[in-house]
Amino acid sequence: MRYALRKLGLLVLTLWAAVTLNFVIPRLMPGSPADAAIAKLAQNGPVTPSVQAAIEAQLGMPGGSIWDQYVAYLNNVIHLDFGVSYTFFPQQVSELVAGALPWTLIMVGAVTVIAFVLGTLIGIGAAWKRGTWMDSLPTVGGSFLSAFPYFWTALLIVFFLGYVLGWFPTSGAYSATAVPNLSWEFLGDVLYHAALPAATILLTSLGGWILGMRNTMINTLGDDYVTFAEANGLRGRTVAIRYAARNAILPNLTGFGMALGGVVGGSLLVEQVFAYPGVGYLLFNAVTNQDFPLMQALFLMITVSVLLANFLVEILYGVLDPRTRR
Amino acid sequence: MSLLEIQDLSVVYEPRGAVPTHAVKNASLSLEQGEFVGLVGESGSGKSTLGFAVTRLAKAPARISGGRIVFDGTDIAHLDAEELRTQRRGGFAMVLQSGMNALNPVRTIAHHFGDIFAAHGHVPKARRRQRATELLDKVQLPSTVLDRYPGELSGGMRQRVSIALALSLEPRLMVFDEPTTALDVLVQHAVMDTIRELQAAEGFTAVLISHDLGVVLESAERVVVMHDGEIVEDGASRQIFSAPAHPYTQMLLSHYADPRAEVVELPGFERKAPQDGAARPERAAAHDAIVVDHVSKVYPPPRRGEQAVTAVDDVSFRLEPGAAMALVGQSGSGKSTIAKMITGVERPTSGTVTFGDLRVDRLRRRQLKTLHADVQMVFQDPYSALNPLHTVEYTLTRPVENFAGLKGEAARERVLELLETVGLTPVEQYAAKLPHQLSGGQRQRVVIARALASNPQVLIADEPVSMLDVSLRAGVLGLLEDLRAGLGVSLLYITHDLLSARVVTDQIMVLHHGRVVESGGTTQVLRFPEDAYTTQLLDAIPQPARRFADGQAS
Repeated sequence: MRYALRKLGLLVLTLWAAVTLNFVIPRLMPGSPADAAIAKLAQNGPVTPSVQAAIEAQLGMPGGSIWDQYVAYLNNVIHLDFGVSYTFFPQQVSELVAGALPWTLIMVGAVTVIAFVLGTLIGIGAAWKRGTWMDSLPTVGGSFLSAFPYFWTALLIVFFLGYVLGWFPTSGAYSATAVPNLSWEFLGDVLYHAALPAATILLTSLGGWILGMRNTMINTLGDDYVTFAEANGLRGRTVAIRYAARNAILPNLTGFGMALGGVVGGSLLVEQVFAYPGVGYLLFNAVTNQDFPLMQALFLMITVSVLLANFLVEILYGVLDPRTRR
Repeated sequence: MSLLEIQDLSVVYEPRGAVPTHAVKNASLSLEQGEFVGLVGESGSGKSTLGFAVTRLAKAPARISGGRIVFDGTDIAHLDAEELRTQRRGGFAMVLQSGMNALNPVRTIAHHFGDIFAAHGHVPKARRRQRATELLDKVQLPSTVLDRYPGELSGGMRQRVSIALALSLEPRLMVFDEPTTALDVLVQHAVMDTIRELQAAEGFTAVLISHDLGVVLESAERVVVMHDGEIVEDGASRQIFSAPAHPYTQMLLSHYADPRAEVVELPGFERKAPQDGAARPERAAAHDAIVVDHVSKVYPPPRRGEQAVTAVDDVSFRLEPGAAMALVGQSGSGKSTIAKMITGVERPTSGTVTFGDLRVDRLRRRQLKTLHADVQMVFQDPYSALNPLHTVEYTLTRPVENFAGLKGEAARERVLELLETVGLTPVEQYAAKLPHQLSGGQRQRVVIARALASNPQVLIADEPVSMLDVSLRAGVLGLLEDLRAGLGVSLLYITHDLLSARVVTDQIMVLHHGRVVESGGTTQVLRFPEDAYTTQLLDAIPQPARRFADGQAS
């Protein structure tokens, strides 16, 4: 319990540091969004001071001392108020993020968890049945699949399954005609649209989990406590799961934490290829359109999700490994 | 009928893509119910392989290639996995060498017991905790241990727990594979006592596998000696002790001596250095003394809320040029910390260390190099002290270039000279070898050669022979003696092994909890110890001679 509280305290501290950095860094950059907008306008003709003032007001250029700005910013962050998007004017940034986040969390997040669980289970099987086809098939297949860059796999899948064969939709999170609601029909439609991007992520990340788990478990299988458990006549299943796999999974949790943290920010390419309306897609749009409020909010989200994932994994470590609790 | 009949058993190691090795060759052996048998041999003799085969724990690449293992009337050499598993209760159990690693770090001790009871179903759920408490009591552990994780127990406690776990199978045969080797000297002694008492009380057949003939002779009624995969001698302990028949057994036995005896001799070891400064050696490499003056080292508490650790507490001594001094004590006594402070790796919390004009405790990075040219370390584990990717020549060329500033042909000549000094001849052959092509003793010689590369005044040897087989120890000790006699280097010899301290040093300091409890001439201190702790250390050394002389053994 004290361990969890300590980690929680650390999380709050790092969160504050991340939020503050997110405030400081844009202010260290030369120029401002207003300058950029004015420069764009200036290409069409001279910009009068009144237009300039109007633009600055419209963009909500912050005024006052840096301290006032910081307090106002913190207040806004706490209320999830990130201002108005430039690209999707006049929509609130928070609305845009709230619209994109669930798609990414559900599709990419769920697939990441599934890939980890599935890969770990296959890895356990492969290590336990070392040297048989149950070992060679997943290890060779896994390394083969994870050798592809994942945007390339994505393109291949879109081309063959989506375009040539037409079995799956190639863009969007649900059909253009469907109305979001909680019916089975709509859920089915969502799963149907998520199939290709999910398959891409699963295929390309599964191999890594299989290999990681297999290799650490081969090591723990050679450990003395496994030999001793066998000497004491424990059942094979008990030895494999509670002794060998239970210890082998610990180093892999770190990788899982990093993968979880990367869910929000790392789905950019896949979402781009499949035109999936998630955070990655939004971020891409924000960057290409120099949509500063949106970018800032998204960067903050990415940082926060990495921190949260790490926190989660550390708590998990505390539960799974008594040695870390001290 | 015997409890265990091993007939013509052969075990072969078949690593993929390598030449198979026959670890056990046609071994035959029969054990009666209730016997206490010692299985002795040096590393590579096949004793552990035999132990693992008998308990059917041999895993690929090891394979039983022939013979029968008849346990209580059934041949267990070819039982299938499930039959074998159920046989283990009331059958054969094994206690592994490193009891500290034999427990699952993420499960409590109670879970370990629970797993065994559940696997065999011989203790009903309601009685499990009570039964586990009884078993722990047999190995003299309190029941509070049950709710602990292995990481919260000391090495000796963990080994006791694993003995209790093996005991929970109610075995008729228990194989102990080097049960005390990884433990501290004093703990070793206590754990062996427990094993002996248990065997007498429970009446199981015990097989004690050890490299240490002394330990085996002290406990077992019968001794089986293995060499190169074959059983070379099998007889009653008393007979093996007084009239060993096989030359290999004679050799093993000749390496035992009582450090308390008036004259201590080891085969292949000759005392050459002048004792107590009687005559000067031919060359005098050392001309500066190391002076340790009221040195203490306090480490900050390992965790919040705990006490600071005083590793070394107000220690003073003087190592004269050309002298040999032993620092002895059990692990945690602070002897290695002292070595670290003399080599400038650690700084003392208080007190001073001087070497010649150098204030070692105040040296900066650059000056440390000057110090290290004169003060060199020989490490305990020759297997990890050498980079497996580099040849002996490369390993030795580096310090020759760094310290002596030699290049090219001159450097090579110096390397070969060093190999000559440590007795690795023909030197050209050894220069080209990689560490894995050398035996433990040869590796330790390379480590010593590396330490000599800078022409040091002082060698600090931290347990230089404890990882080596007995037959190789005398050679390395002899080399240290030669270096002192021939080159005139000073020697600080750190060990828990009083016998080797007796033969290579003149002065001795006994450390306990970081304090010097006794010091003086090595012979004087060991023959007539004054401190209780020194006596305790001396008593912990297995003394078969005493057992058989008293006539108390069967």
